[in-house]
Amino acid sequence: MSSEQEDLKETDTEERFAFKKEESSAFKTEKGLTEETIRLISEDKDEPEWMLERRLRALRQFKEMPMPTDWPGQPDLSEVDLDEIVPYIRPDIDTRGGVDEWDDLPEDIQDTFDKLGIPEAEKKALSGVGAQYESEIVYQNMQERWEEKGVVFCDMDRAVQEHEEIVREYFMTKCVPPSDNKFAALHGAIWSGGSFVYVPEDTTVDMPVQAYFRMNSEGMGQFEHTLIIAEPGSEVHYIEGCSAPQYAAFNLHSGGVEVFVKEDAHVQYSTVQNWSKNTYNLNTKRAIAENGATMEWVSGSMGSKATMLYPSTILKGRGATDNHITIAFAGEGQDIDTGAKVYHNAPNTKSTIESKSIAKDGGRTNYRGLVHIADGAENSSTSVECDALMFDNDSTSDTMPYMEIQESKVDVAHEATVGKIGDEDVFYLQSRGLDDDDAKKMIVAGFIEPITEELPIEYAVELNRLIELEMEGSLG
Amino acid sequence: MSTQVHANLTEEQVRAISDELDEPEWLLETRLDALSALSDLDMPKVIRTPGRDWTNLDALDFESFVDPLEGAEQKERVTAEGAEVLEWSEAVAEHEALVREHFGSVVDTQENYLTALSTALFSTGTLVYVPERVDAEDVKIRTTVDSRSLFNYTLVVTETSASVTILERQSTGDEVEGDRYYSGIVEAVAGENSRIQYGALQNLSEETYNYTLKRGRTDVYATINWIDGNIGSRLTKTEVSTELAGDSSETQIVGAFFGHDDQHFDLDSKVWHYGEHTTADLVMRGVVDDTARSVYEGVQYVGDDAWNTSSYQRENTLMLSDESEADASPKLEIDNHDTEASHSATVGQIDEEDLFYMLTRGIDRESARNQLVEGFFVPVLDEVEVGELRADLRELIAARLRE
Repeated sequence: MSSEQEDLKETDTEERFAFKKEESSAFKTEKGLTEETIRLISEDKDEPEWMLERRLRALRQFKEMPMPTDWPGQPDLSEVDLDEIVPYIRPDIDTRGGVDEWDDLPEDIQDTFDKLGIPEAEKKALSGVGAQYESEIVYQNMQERWEEKGVVFCDMDRAVQEHEEIVREYFMTKCVPPSDNKFAALHGAIWSGGSFVYVPEDTTVDMPVQAYFRMNSEGMGQFEHTLIIAEPGSEVHYIEGCSAPQYAAFNLHSGGVEVFVKEDAHVQYSTVQNWSKNTYNLNTKRAIAENGATMEWVSGSMGSKATMLYPSTILKGRGATDNHITIAFAGEGQDIDTGAKVYHNAPNTKSTIESKSIAKDGGRTNYRGLVHIADGAENSSTSVECDALMFDNDSTSDTMPYMEIQESKVDVAHEATVGKIGDEDVFYLQSRGLDDDDAKKMIVAGFIEPITEELPIEYAVELNRLIELEMEGSLG
Repeated sequence: MSTQVHANLTEEQVRAISDELDEPEWLLETRLDALSALSDLDMPKVIRTPGRDWTNLDALDFESFVDPLEGAEQKERVTAEGAEVLEWSEAVAEHEALVREHFGSVVDTQENYLTALSTALFSTGTLVYVPERVDAEDVKIRTTVDSRSLFNYTLVVTETSASVTILERQSTGDEVEGDRYYSGIVEAVAGENSRIQYGALQNLSEETYNYTLKRGRTDVYATINWIDGNIGSRLTKTEVSTELAGDSSETQIVGAFFGHDDQHFDLDSKVWHYGEHTTADLVMRGVVDDTARSVYEGVQYVGDDAWNTSSYQRENTLMLSDESEADASPKLEIDNHDTEASHSATVGQIDEEDLFYMLTRGIDRESARNQLVEGFFVPVLDEVEVGELRADLRELIAARLRE
């Protein structure tokens, strides 16, 4: 075993994602989904009437919509029994909307997030951190200098109280209405927690804001809602990390993300998803980009049993730009079905999608993407690149792009490749003194490098580590 | 979703068609089974994205244009030395065992509503049989549709080390009031080390709804090459595909289309790699003008046991009009890692700089555009190994540009 591997063993990465805490909660809803449950959640959160109404409407829509079953090659969702999900658990802490001081947190939650490296990250390079434990944000902090400039970073429940007018205008109205899909409707009914980010005009938040989501209870559903509003000329980078310990029962994560990128604003949304391998990760993430705005999605999907996630951008304003960067890694028993959706609805819009996926030990990855260029969106261009690497014959790697082009003055290009790890590459590295495992690790690191280099260094390091850990399982 | 059943389709009609062709009992049974299965079958799959069907077949009123007993056509069959090119009644009379072995073996007669409809109702058919080691160069099958609807069936069988080049053309003859329907099923069975080159040129009238399914299966070392040109019809839904069943077999699927007015082309190219060391090359190029719409789906499937395969796919669409639409979905489904698979797709317009360059050379805009479009097709025309088909295709493209 090489020394590099020894080093890796000493890191606490594996431990960071494997531990679980005894669940202790102040308020926990019964399993299943009824109007009663929704009213309880809303009441417990002391929400205004309109929010309760939106929840109830979403619940009705949810009940009417069928489960998606007719997508070609879609992950198996038959195990997702929504009656078994506990939609809402409020951790046992006194302060609603989180505490501002790390030391005020209960020890077990502190310990959990310490292991996940949350306060460290804040000290180092982040302008704000929010951490969500079960259904509610337990810790939220924003560096003072940003608060002075009017930047808001708080948990979503607090935003409903303190920024009611803004939330009322933007929350699941124009971007992701509950009618969008069954899980968006579910989310609209029982959402809890998440982040609210508001960046005033011409303000650049030059350090990333970060949120960390964690499910700790068995059979739990997490439905956090993130709303980001970047006013004209502003700039912000939001990072989310997700994890959950492994239980026998399944967990469901069905988050909702809405991003409004106003004129000439720039938002980057980065996710490192490492849910436990019994989690169904069914999210709806969408951004609307106005004139000259730029939206960037950076996603690393390592965890979960099944993921169906297609971050989408509506390029609504002239000259708006979208960048998608995704990495998917599917190991044993995992089905990572992810991709991108871009709607070019204005002239001179541009999108770039880069996807890299790795399948091994019987895992399945699928790139599923849609690029739509509407009639009139002239001088638009899109470029899609998907590369997939397969480790073995038990795995599956699919690529399913869809292009709908209704405008002739466009430049549309799509490319995809699938292949195995090259024997010659491995041989070359072995001839340089690396063993088989290290050679493969190095090849994988090289394969995803174009994407990791877009991430802040801590996340790039974490992503690489997660992938190394994943690879150790079978290669060791 | 189940589809409409024809109130006006009866067992008697099917019996009459089968009887006319002197078919054996088993074939009649197959037809009747297909007829009774109609009510349970769905239309061929079309792509759906949120809020949009890429092709809507369910809206088609088959009642209005299917006329089971009136399949009129002119057929021209040119046979090559050593090969047998037989009309259907001769085929079932002279090669019943062969027909029985292969009929429905590549394309499930009840794969979807339209294949079952075609199976129940085909009134004209051709068997191309190429015995061992025979090289048959110039087989031609020309179908001219004179009736409202025509259901056509073709079976190609090549024995070990045989080879054949087939050129098939569909066009419409006599005018008919209202909409028409053409349905063609082609099954190609390529024996060991044999080679089938199948070129088809569809130039049906623009009142015709066209459904064709051409599929081949290769044995060891066999090759099936398809060339598919689509110029005519109002709506075309077609699949051209190969199952690479035999080890070391290969296929090439070359497609070209040119849509104008409100034509709708839904073109699928598919390859399934089942055998080891198999190779596939899918090439599609097309132009859409006016309010025409093209829909392309390309599927490259590499199965669990298909070791050491190569699979390539490229699709390019040129849009000549702002009102046209080009949709594409090139898919890879890979279950074996020992593969080299790739695909690419582009959509664009005529390059402004190219056009400008030609204008500076004194060529008027119209001719410059025409030459550039003709140039766009060159890479696919170069892949067309059948000289006559290449020339015809080029001519049709040129004619359409100068309409």
